[in-house]
Amino acid sequence: MLKIENVSKIYENGFQALDNINLEIPDGQFVAIIGLSGSGKSTLLRCINRLIDPTGGRIIWGDIDITAAADDELRLIRRRIGMIFQQFNLVKRSSVLTNVLCGRLGYINPVFSLANYVPPSEKERAMAALKRVGIAEKAYNRASSLSGGQQQRVGIARALMQEPDLMLADEPVASLDPATSHSVMRYLELLNKEDGITILCSLHFLSLARAYSDRVIALKDGRVEFDGLPSEIDNERFRQIYGEDAVEVEIH
Amino acid sequence: MIKTDSRSILRRIVILIGVLIGFVIIAYGWTVTQINLDRPQEPVRQQNVTNALRELLSPNVFTQDYEIRSNSTSILLDCPADGTVPEAPATPDDGTPYIVVTPTCASSGDTVTVSGYNFYPETLARLNWIGSDGERRIRQVAGSRDNNFVIRDDGTFVAEIEVPRIRGSSGETHTIEIQDATPVGAVRFSDTTALVMEKMVETIFLALIATMISILPSAILSFFAAHNLMRPVRMPLGSLLIAFALLPIGWWLGTLVLGAIGTFAIGVGSGQLFNGSASTLFIALGAVVATRRRSIQPESFGLRIRGVLMTALIAVIVVAALGLLGGVGILIGTLWRDGLPGYISTFVGSLGELIQLLILPISGITGAFVFATAGISLTRPALKAIDMPIGHILGAVLGVICGALLLAFSATIGMQAAWLGLLTPIIAAAMGGAVLPGIYNRLLPSRPAKGSFKTLLRLIGAVALFTITFSVLKVERAIVIGALPPTNAAFAIGEMVIYEYVFKAMTIGAIVGGISAGFAGTRAQFPVGEVMYNTTRTILNALRSIEPLIMGLVFVIWVGIGPFAGVLALTLHSIASLGKLYSEQIENIDNGPIEALLSTGANRLQTIMYAVVPQVIPPYIAFTMYRWDINVRMSTIIGFVGGGGVGFLLQQQINLLRYREAGVAVLAIAIVVSILDYASASIRERVT
Repeated sequence: MLKIENVSKIYENGFQALDNINLEIPDGQFVAIIGLSGSGKSTLLRCINRLIDPTGGRIIWGDIDITAAADDELRLIRRRIGMIFQQFNLVKRSSVLTNVLCGRLGYINPVFSLANYVPPSEKERAMAALKRVGIAEKAYNRASSLSGGQQQRVGIARALMQEPDLMLADEPVASLDPATSHSVMRYLELLNKEDGITILCSLHFLSLARAYSDRVIALKDGRVEFDGLPSEIDNERFRQIYGEDAVEVEIH
Repeated sequence: MIKTDSRSILRRIVILIGVLIGFVIIAYGWTVTQINLDRPQEPVRQQNVTNALRELLSPNVFTQDYEIRSNSTSILLDCPADGTVPEAPATPDDGTPYIVVTPTCASSGDTVTVSGYNFYPETLARLNWIGSDGERRIRQVAGSRDNNFVIRDDGTFVAEIEVPRIRGSSGETHTIEIQDATPVGAVRFSDTTALVMEKMVETIFLALIATMISILPSAILSFFAAHNLMRPVRMPLGSLLIAFALLPIGWWLGTLVLGAIGTFAIGVGSGQLFNGSASTLFIALGAVVATRRRSIQPESFGLRIRGVLMTALIAVIVVAALGLLGGVGILIGTLWRDGLPGYISTFVGSLGELIQLLILPISGITGAFVFATAGISLTRPALKAIDMPIGHILGAVLGVICGALLLAFSATIGMQAAWLGLLTPIIAAAMGGAVLPGIYNRLLPSRPAKGSFKTLLRLIGAVALFTITFSVLKVERAIVIGALPPTNAAFAIGEMVIYEYVFKAMTIGAIVGGISAGFAGTRAQFPVGEVMYNTTRTILNALRSIEPLIMGLVFVIWVGIGPFAGVLALTLHSIASLGKLYSEQIENIDNGPIEALLSTGANRLQTIMYAVVPQVIPPYIAFTMYRWDINVRMSTIIGFVGGGGVGFLLQQQINLLRYREAGVAVLAIAIVVSILDYASASIRERVT
């Protein structure tokens, strides 16, 4: 259970990105977070693994208070939270395998990793993760030589290396074409169904949220505007979330 | 009809005024730089510059040996009255040079024609008249302005000379001699060229060594000078203050304990090569095994203690291994003397000695680091549990200690030179800048100071603290008179004497540190990264603004004239310059991977290793090449201040007005610089 209690974030320039967010997310749920750009989706996801420090409130995961964790504890917490990004955030000059192995850094002895030594068992684990997302044959290619969809799958494989219980996906398909989007979403669905990983995924397209998620949370100006089943979002709700002039665009 | 826009007219006026101001500035500059159009037109100067340029452009690169040969023929002074003409001597037909004079008799003042055959083409020659008295008189050839004339390109010449007036030698046979300079042996490089080449090699290696040495320090510094890496680094004030207060204790214990271990290890290593290297290997393996740990649960205090002991163990192992390496190095240094093994042995031995020199400071730094991290780790749970009022009291206490330590340190530096005394007021001002906004925010927590009001508060605090510290420490006395602070002891702790000057600074530091940390409390997040970034940047910028030539002057005093001084000067400047360039490359990288790696639970060092390093390697190579290129240029002139290399030679030749020799050096510099310029540009193009 992930509990978000009264979480707020005010940036140093005074912009209030999150305004008193309260959410409870049971384990194993696939949650889609929707909302306009600037509604606080990315900030909320980053507050959960403290890439951004919230200015108020608490985030409790199981029996751990994430918001109170000191640096060294935070690293142990982050090990169990995978994250994938809109821009994939791969090291483009490194090989696919190295990128995937990076996901294991929290577990590897720091002395080993500074000497650039990877235990063979970890290498096998990385190959298995790559096989799972279907690009094992690209292991020794440079990350930059892969297509967008493949790069995002490398991102998923990297997160898999963490053996995560929770996966944060920050608009994972926003830079991909519709067909590739579905393939990436299906991998996330697979992790959710097979491994029981809780998934928090921010999305631009409502149709994707409808197709893959168990629950939709809509943010507007840093507040929760809607929280419920995907099927409950009708035209009126849609306009509440996206504004009066919005028209829903389908992605198939 | 064109509409006149008043704003556009105003704009034009502004532009016009700008141009006028620019004109005045340039006009003033013209006078200041003493630009004078008459001087270059003075004939003497023109003649001088023409000569100098001519010699510079005729560099003395090649040389060939010459042999002065002489051939002669005879001539009768005054033809006999009977009209008989002496017979010309027989001419050889074996290709050896010979001369013929026609007619074979002549009177003083007559003009005779001398022709020669089989001479070395296009060399200089001169004609001598050797009278019956045996005296040699140079005869100028008609049409030539000096004593020499040039043999034709077919090896012949025809020259007319006037018969000299030699009293009392009528009727006697005189000799006409030709002396010509015939090249012998192959064309070869002149001695100057050999010297210049030798110095050029020295120059190139001077630049190479300076660049190589500077890579590691500047790469390390560049991470501290990169804003994107340092900005997010924050630390609770309590942890920071505890760590800072432990630094001197750690330093002291480090030099004592670790220093002894390191010195002992050097002794072992330099005594026995095999044992030394074997135990180095063993210790390195031990380090890896010792740090092998599956999981950390910092919540448990026992495990925290274990972590601290582990850090201390690693520190001991690292210092011991370094000491052994140094010792083995010193031993290797004594193995060979000559040839390639000799160079390597000297180099490795030198590195060993360097480790020996540095083992105490390294031990101190390591000890300080161990103590600081131990302090942070062990006090973290306690600091987290502390409530607000106690947190402020503890903050005040720690603030007093740390403020006193910081200003004591800066005041000790300030006692070394008059203007270094400014350091203490500046640091005090930086601390003072934090006091007023801190107090204000604590008194009015609902309306925290923001924007320009906060800046104003900071400014007031900083100026006030600067002024107070400046007058208390009487820094103006030091600056105006150049006098160092008096060294009156206030009191002594054991052997360490605390001077009054330092004590005054400590008092100020204690007061300011106590107030600001007390108001902030131990839980406040302190921007450690920002402070380190600013400090590193300031030092790098200050170092970069001092030209290597000036640094060279100082190093020549320290290590004497020669390339070593040049290496030190260029290294220091390269560290500053490369540090800045490298850090800008770090700031240009894609920050996405850093975020991604931090989110996987990697620590900061791992993040840098895997997300930053792969991205900056190509630009680092490019900028290192670029710096080598610059260093070669610099090293060609560092010799002007005694820093070795070709510049030293160039300066000597110019001072001796030997422009042909100077020309060789100039030519060599031009060739080497342009080759390197091209090479570095093409390598840079390839890696980026």
